[in-house]
Amino acid sequence: MTGSPVLDAPAVLDVADLHVEFDTYGGVVQAVRGASFSVHAGKTLAIVGESGCGKSVSVQSIMGLIPMPPGRITRGTALLDGVDIIRQKIVNGQDVRGNRVGMIFQDPMSALNPTMRVGDQIAETLQVHRGYSKRKAFDRAVEVLTLTNIPEAEKRARQYPFAFSGGMLQRAMIAIAIACEPAVLIADEPTTALDVTIQAQILDLLKALQARNGMAIVLITHDLGVVARMADEVAVMYAGEIVEKGSVDDVFYRAAHPYTLGLKAAMPSSTTSKSEGLRPIEGTPPDLFAPPTGCGYFARCPHAMRLCGPSHPFRFDVDPGHEALCWLHHPDAPATAPELHRRGQA
Amino acid sequence: MSVVERFAPADFEPALIERRVQALSRPSLSYWQDAVRRLRGNWRATASLGVVIGLVAFALAGPWLWRVDPSVQDLDQLSLGPALPSTARIVEPSVPWAGVTTEPTQSGVAVTNLRLAAPATTQTVRLVWEPVIDAAGYAIYRNIYDPGSERTLGLPIGDVLGANRASYEDQLDLDPRRYWYSVVAVDANLAEQTEYTTLAVDAVRAVSPEEAVARGWAQNAAALGVGDTITLPFHPLGTDYLGRDMLARLMYGARVSLFIGVVAPVLFVLIGIVYGSIAGFVGGRLDQMLMRFAEFVIALPFLLFMILFKIAFGIGPGESGVIPMLVALVILGWPATARLVRGQILQIRQEGYVSASQLLGARTGYLIFRHMIPNTLGVILVTLTFAVPSAIFTEAFLSFIGMGVAPPTPSWGSMANEGVRTMLSHPHELIFPAVFISVAVLAFNLLGDGLRDALDVRMRGRE
Amino acid sequence: MTALLDARGVTKHFRIARGQTVHAVDDVSLTIAEREIVGLVGESGSGKSTFGKTLVGLHAKTAGEVYLEGERLPDRYKPADFQRHARRMQMIFQDPYSSLNPRMTVGEIIGEGVRLQPDSNRVAIREQVDGWLERVGLERGHAARYPHELSGGQRQRVGIARALILKPKFVVCDEPISALDVSVQAQIVRLLGELKASMGLTMLFIAHDLSMVRYLSDRMAVMYLGSLVEIGPSEEVYATPLHPYTQMLVASNPEPDPRSERERATVPITGEIASPINVGVGCRFASRCPHVMDVCRSVTPELRTPVNAEPTRRVACHLYEAQDPPSA
Repeated sequence: MTGSPVLDAPAVLDVADLHVEFDTYGGVVQAVRGASFSVHAGKTLAIVGESGCGKSVSVQSIMGLIPMPPGRITRGTALLDGVDIIRQKIVNGQDVRGNRVGMIFQDPMSALNPTMRVGDQIAETLQVHRGYSKRKAFDRAVEVLTLTNIPEAEKRARQYPFAFSGGMLQRAMIAIAIACEPAVLIADEPTTALDVTIQAQILDLLKALQARNGMAIVLITHDLGVVARMADEVAVMYAGEIVEKGSVDDVFYRAAHPYTLGLKAAMPSSTTSKSEGLRPIEGTPPDLFAPPTGCGYFARCPHAMRLCGPSHPFRFDVDPGHEALCWLHHPDAPATAPELHRRGQA
Repeated sequence: MSVVERFAPADFEPALIERRVQALSRPSLSYWQDAVRRLRGNWRATASLGVVIGLVAFALAGPWLWRVDPSVQDLDQLSLGPALPSTARIVEPSVPWAGVTTEPTQSGVAVTNLRLAAPATTQTVRLVWEPVIDAAGYAIYRNIYDPGSERTLGLPIGDVLGANRASYEDQLDLDPRRYWYSVVAVDANLAEQTEYTTLAVDAVRAVSPEEAVARGWAQNAAALGVGDTITLPFHPLGTDYLGRDMLARLMYGARVSLFIGVVAPVLFVLIGIVYGSIAGFVGGRLDQMLMRFAEFVIALPFLLFMILFKIAFGIGPGESGVIPMLVALVILGWPATARLVRGQILQIRQEGYVSASQLLGARTGYLIFRHMIPNTLGVILVTLTFAVPSAIFTEAFLSFIGMGVAPPTPSWGSMANEGVRTMLSHPHELIFPAVFISVAVLAFNLLGDGLRDALDVRMRGRE
Repeated sequence: MTALLDARGVTKHFRIARGQTVHAVDDVSLTIAEREIVGLVGESGSGKSTFGKTLVGLHAKTAGEVYLEGERLPDRYKPADFQRHARRMQMIFQDPYSSLNPRMTVGEIIGEGVRLQPDSNRVAIREQVDGWLERVGLERGHAARYPHELSGGQRQRVGIARALILKPKFVVCDEPISALDVSVQAQIVRLLGELKASMGLTMLFIAHDLSMVRYLSDRMAVMYLGSLVEIGPSEEVYATPLHPYTQMLVASNPEPDPRSERERATVPITGEIASPINVGVGCRFASRCPHVMDVCRSVTPELRTPVNAEPTRRVACHLYEAQDPPSA
């Protein structure tokens, strides 16, 4: 599981040129400014970035979870099995959400209905999408709950959410999401609110389920450690755009965008020495009310060139399946920033 | 990948450091400024604020602009609906009229040519007609409706005996309105004929100069000449059943209603703040005790208590009853606010900034007044704005059932109570106070809604 | 180096109902030397935040003593106590959103500590506040702003300035970066490091991010369900954890390195944290420990240095024979 993406197999979910904006009292915020990504069966794509970069908004808008005023998708397609689910949520008489696409969220407490038994909530999705009877749906719900490694699933299914701990709630939410064996599971910061040991359990669980079902996973996170553990492909997002995209090894070991380098330098790892220190990225992300015309990272980039301010960078192919949105990859660009991986380098 | 644009080598030079621009793009707004901005954007709330200000101006400045005593009774214009000013004509004092006698020349059962001898006024209506031979006399009726063909002749106001009698003077309680006079011939047996003759007459208000002065419509009798027209007191919104000016009563009633409606909540909110802060901040046993007492007060039956209170403290003659009502409302109203404030204080106590301040050496009083209360002000303000319409309505209700302010002190509620009696004939006496109550309550409620929306979101400043 | 802070047997229980006591912190002893940063890690429910608050006096101690520079601190603080110790001991709070009063300007917030001191004058306060704004990386113009206009990172800087303006010797940092974005975390950590060096601060750094604690602190202490289970130099504890819980923690901690993640041996992570109500005797980790023995359920292990280990490392686990009787 190294490197190159499988280009011959079609992507399960293919998002192209997504643009999302919001009306707010201060003006129009352009939250997503042209994001394109895809994920294949049995693989995990991690979309990583900081808060405000647009990663959550991207997937939520595709799923129709953003209220459409004040939000708006102004451009872009999201093809699921060839059907654009931005325009059309009902395919073959069935809503794709909960059925072909499952979603889990950051806060399980608010995603579950406190007045319904957990088992009934899982059963609900089976009744709606598969047309199961109440009895059959509940039995299957217990099965699914067992799959998530909750002990005493039969008993737990008859309980209410308040009796569950944080980790168990997250498992329950995963059960609801995978009950109909979706082709894609979107996980929006699923472990951010959890303790690190619970996080490890949940991530291992997701991996096991993926191996079992062959489903694709889109994982939204800000934690590079989680990305390193889970992802096959990585898309790095900044200020509403995907600034780098490639396999996990490409992005970690052959980073081709200064922001990716900056992120890595700002996170402590077992190799970070105290003498070298963490090198934070100075400044703050740009204001998306008036997004910069040039490169969004211009104000913070230590390697910025004159043209980076006014001119929006092209998308350059650094290696097969590895691209970066940065002028440093222009053939005429100087060889500054030696730690930046360029085309043709080993 | 083909690069369409070509760049000069200079473009690839490192960019200068001054690109760092981190200025905050939006202007600095404090909590209150931001709330005001939001409030302005809410048209219902701003409209309501306008109405509230209007009502307050109505109550305070109104009586100064419309100087009419609300207790003065204009007996000539009882239950007058909203109308333009009425006029009266000056006439000579009435003198007795001899009447007209004519020998009948016609035969028949009904008189003819029923007409007025002189213009009809509220002083006197003088009728003349052509008598008939066979009549022994005539009966005269007066109705305020047209008798039409059903022979509903109305009030029998007089008889004249003798076939040659051809006139009648009516001075019975004449109002300036339209009357239908009917004259019926009576035969020798004093039985009435079936046929009758009707005349519609519009009586015009008329007074003699002395009467005008006596009724207070003019100062100087000598200055008035016959044929002059004088204007009666103007009541733009009409009068009530006792002839008191509605507009003036509404204005004074506004004072009473708004006074109670605003002052009572302010008082009991203040009490509630102090009580709730202490309970919330000190906690423990004291908190338990204080809250138990508050719950006891809430459990008291409101209406019963108000009645008992009124009986116990009584209202002497000449007193208005405003203060006892105020006191009663305050005594019963504070626990709700106390509970609310206590809840807020309990919540804020756990916030980081309170701990931080403690750690920096802040004393209890400083913590409460500098940190906690300002952060509960939003909630308190909203509570206040909702308590006001509730108090206004309660006062109106109590006055309506007779348990509120004592007559003749006007209040919207007592005015509504009086208006119910004449609801069908003179609806304006009920409608005006009812409308004022409704508008005031609605306006305060909408304002409270708007305030809550404006203040709520900004408790946590996530941009 | 002399111990600046000496906590002995600090215990904090909360009685939530009749017969139900939450053992938030149980008999935790910890010494921190001058200019040292000790990191305190643990998951939710470990009691680390409660311990920090008890140290500075925001919670009254159920048992135990705390000594600061040899002087015993009050068991229960009154406002006068806080004021007396405000110049020596301070705290940086966790949630930058709720730790700043939304109705006060940044300048007022930062200057509060100075204003509350009996001998303060207005002009001097203004200058100090401006000085500190720059020192934490903000601008003078920010003094008139309100917290809701600042980003999370900027707010945390304000919190830092507020805590340090009185130049305390000892600072408890209660999860100062947990609520912040990744790149901002690094900024704040670097700022803390700089200030620590320039002011000679001693810190207790409470966090749940193992990597950050490992990077920033000299020694690392691990708490589980109210007790201290392991303590030692950060690098060593991270590289060779001795206590089964620490091992579990380190094993769960994802590294931003795909290759090492792929090769990492998985440690079975079982169960969830037990309830802190009415905790009995025995090791608290017994219900989840893969190496549990009978003695673990009946005898509470004490924090000791294992045989053949450096004296700087101590573990509370029956798996290890003690090198010597437990130190005081």
